[in-house]
Amino acid sequence: MIEKIYSNIIKETCLKYVCECGTEVYMLPMKGWSSAVAQFTARFGSQDNSFLSNGKRIEIPDGTAHYLEHKLFESEEKNAFSLFAQTGASCNAGTSFDYTQYYFSCADKFRQNLDILLGFVSEPYFTEENVEKERGIIGQEITMYRDNPSWRMFTNLLEGLYSVNPVRNDIAGTVESIAKITPQTLYDCYNAFYSPSNMFLCAAGNFDPDEVVEVCESRLKKSSQFKVETTPYTEPYEINKKVMRLQMPVAKPMFEIGFKRNAVYNEEEISDYIYYNILFDMIFGNSSEFYEQMRIYGILNDEWTVGVFNGRGHFFLTARGEADQPELILATMMTYIRKMQKEPPSRELFERVKKATYGSLVKEFTDVRSVCNTLTESVLSNVSPFYAVELASAVNYETLVDKLRDIDEHNACISIIEPLS
Amino acid sequence: MCYNRNSIFLRKRVIKIFERKELTDGVYFSKITDPRFKQNRFWISLFTGYDEIPREDAAVAAYEFSECCERYPDYKQLSLALLDLYDANLSSSTSTFCNARRTNIIISALDDRYALNGEKLECEAARLLCDCILRPCVKNGAFDEKTVEMLRAQLIDNIDSSINDKAVYASERAAKTAFVGEPAELPPQGTHENAEKVTAKSVYNAYKEMLRTAHIEIGAVGCSDFAESEKIFADEFSKLERGNIYRIKPCPSRLKDEPVEIADHIEMEQEILRMYLKAPDMNDRPANALFSLILGGMTTSRFFTDIRESESLCYYCGCGTDRFSRTLACSAGIEPANEAMVKASMLREIKDICENGVTDEELERAKLEMLNSISSCYDDGLGLLSWYISQITDEKFISPEEYAEEIKNVTPERVRKAAEKYTLDTVYTLKNKE
Repeated sequence: MIEKIYSNIIKETCLKYVCECGTEVYMLPMKGWSSAVAQFTARFGSQDNSFLSNGKRIEIPDGTAHYLEHKLFESEEKNAFSLFAQTGASCNAGTSFDYTQYYFSCADKFRQNLDILLGFVSEPYFTEENVEKERGIIGQEITMYRDNPSWRMFTNLLEGLYSVNPVRNDIAGTVESIAKITPQTLYDCYNAFYSPSNMFLCAAGNFDPDEVVEVCESRLKKSSQFKVETTPYTEPYEINKKVMRLQMPVAKPMFEIGFKRNAVYNEEEISDYIYYNILFDMIFGNSSEFYEQMRIYGILNDEWTVGVFNGRGHFFLTARGEADQPELILATMMTYIRKMQKEPPSRELFERVKKATYGSLVKEFTDVRSVCNTLTESVLSNVSPFYAVELASAVNYETLVDKLRDIDEHNACISIIEPLS
Repeated sequence: MCYNRNSIFLRKRVIKIFERKELTDGVYFSKITDPRFKQNRFWISLFTGYDEIPREDAAVAAYEFSECCERYPDYKQLSLALLDLYDANLSSSTSTFCNARRTNIIISALDDRYALNGEKLECEAARLLCDCILRPCVKNGAFDEKTVEMLRAQLIDNIDSSINDKAVYASERAAKTAFVGEPAELPPQGTHENAEKVTAKSVYNAYKEMLRTAHIEIGAVGCSDFAESEKIFADEFSKLERGNIYRIKPCPSRLKDEPVEIADHIEMEQEILRMYLKAPDMNDRPANALFSLILGGMTTSRFFTDIRESESLCYYCGCGTDRFSRTLACSAGIEPANEAMVKASMLREIKDICENGVTDEELERAKLEMLNSISSCYDDGLGLLSWYISQITDEKFISPEEYAEEIKNVTPERVRKAAEKYTLDTVYTLKNKE
């Protein structure tokens, strides 16, 4: 049975269907659009590096989820790219900390493309030879990211914020860690995490929902797979390190600051995400007194963004930019937080930023790809696809002030990339 | 003022219309209306010559557009105004189009029907854009000195920060040799050295000259019919004093007598290879586009399947063409030990297409990929508008469907001939410092 989820604000209907095998399917057909996007997601990311599967404890090398993503494109006969080439669709995949996603976009032959997508993800084919062949390619991908100061700054921040949480390890692993990955490692992970109930499909754009259901039912089969359990860990509330430093060829010091908070889940995750985004926009965003002062005195330039980074098991408020004295920025931010906790920003400013946050969430429903991304993100957070935009139109000032007073400005880490000396 | 001159109407499935008209001397207004979109976007592009207006002054003038205006005299007030428009995005930039500088300012605002309190967002966004570009904060015939000082520092930071992204840095360094003596030799924002010389007066002079002489394209795309906004733009731009309007002329990049090979060295782990090939007499746009896709523009391309997948020589390896400079740029991230092999493999693939052509299967795949992306462009309003604006130097505008028809008619022989037109011009490598 297809369940309908309607939004009064967006004036769109999302359809939810649960396949016999347990895979959940979320669809937002968009009448009159030319293209369509489908994203098939496994709740398996780089942080899932230790788990209990069929009673057996399995520890895997860092970078395994990403390696598996690369290798699933290959089958005994043809790789997935050549299958999609026959339809003209554009396909790709990506691995994050808490999920792996395979997707395509097309303007034609949606049914055939969906069949290819579900087919190749459902049919792993790992051999000593093809796993070995990929090692060099992934090794070079890792090297490419090592030359990217922005990425290094971010991964160092995670390492500074978290002492146990595996989110502190790089998604792609290291050249040393991926050297330990074997076909058996990949099969162990595939069998544990790529079970129908641990995966879901989202689609948006020009397609027939009945066809999606048909293809899913024919491709996705029940399996006798057992429930996978990731190994629990206790991440302390406190940050791991206050400052992380690295020298690279950059023109000016780059920095990213994280204010660590305990992870939250479901509706609470989205609620905190929205409230803290509004708060950081009010205190440190483009229209804030803080940013105005920092720009006027030439301390910050236009490379300045604030926001929230969250996912399964992690949540922190973040600010990144370029400055000659990054630690001064952190100290000033702390002062502003304390000041605002005593004298919260005005209700008028709150109403303006609230309106802007609502506007930015409505805009996520303006094109096929961003609609599909929004569906996927809401499923990962276990909320309705329209929950965030509906909440954004109803947030209140009193709760915002409570959230502001709950910020622990001392639980912060700053990651700095300095120019080579 | 002149309405309905030089109008073009192109339709797809009735609801999609592209219309372009000249509002006043060298000022054109284009619009695409589609009720599916939930926001309305406006852009204004000023096309000017690099010889007439210094790069650095024009770059700071572009920053001024999104910094403040008479109505909102500082960045904070302008940012608050954008919040009131439900997080409208306002941005400005400078880039190269053909041989011209393109100074762009763009605003995106939610459609009126999603406003919580019935605000008229579309017209306010159009007015704000006009305010930013036509009524900046000016005192005694110059921009505010302190603001220019801040924006000059920002420009210098931005110029210097190209080294933060190795691919961008390699591309800028390679362009110095590949396009020596041409507008593309330098980044559109100019150089650190010249940026130091920018003053409030020089930026203001550049701004005035841009408004007087630029070829101006105003674009609107969204769910509105833009009738009111069009009037706002027509009224505002008709008041400008215009003269000596800049004419954009496509000019293919010059091919060197002999290929030049150069390298830079910085501290990094992976090397970046960029090769430029040029075809000054390229006259088959669809065949050229398909050649580039087959060579290195898709996941079943020669570069991807042979160099990455079969030989495992690199993680990324691709190519793309620029139809104005008639250049093919190939790039790859490589291990130092593989440099010679990757370069030889890339050239071997090109030579093979020149000598043996492409297979029917390769061509079919490339056509499917291209047709897929052409059809999808109708879902991207800004992309569709860009498609049309990119043709302002062409004899006539063609719709994506018309281009799709041209793509369908390309034969393997035409692809081979397109490949044959290319000659190696520049090989650049960004290498590890020993």
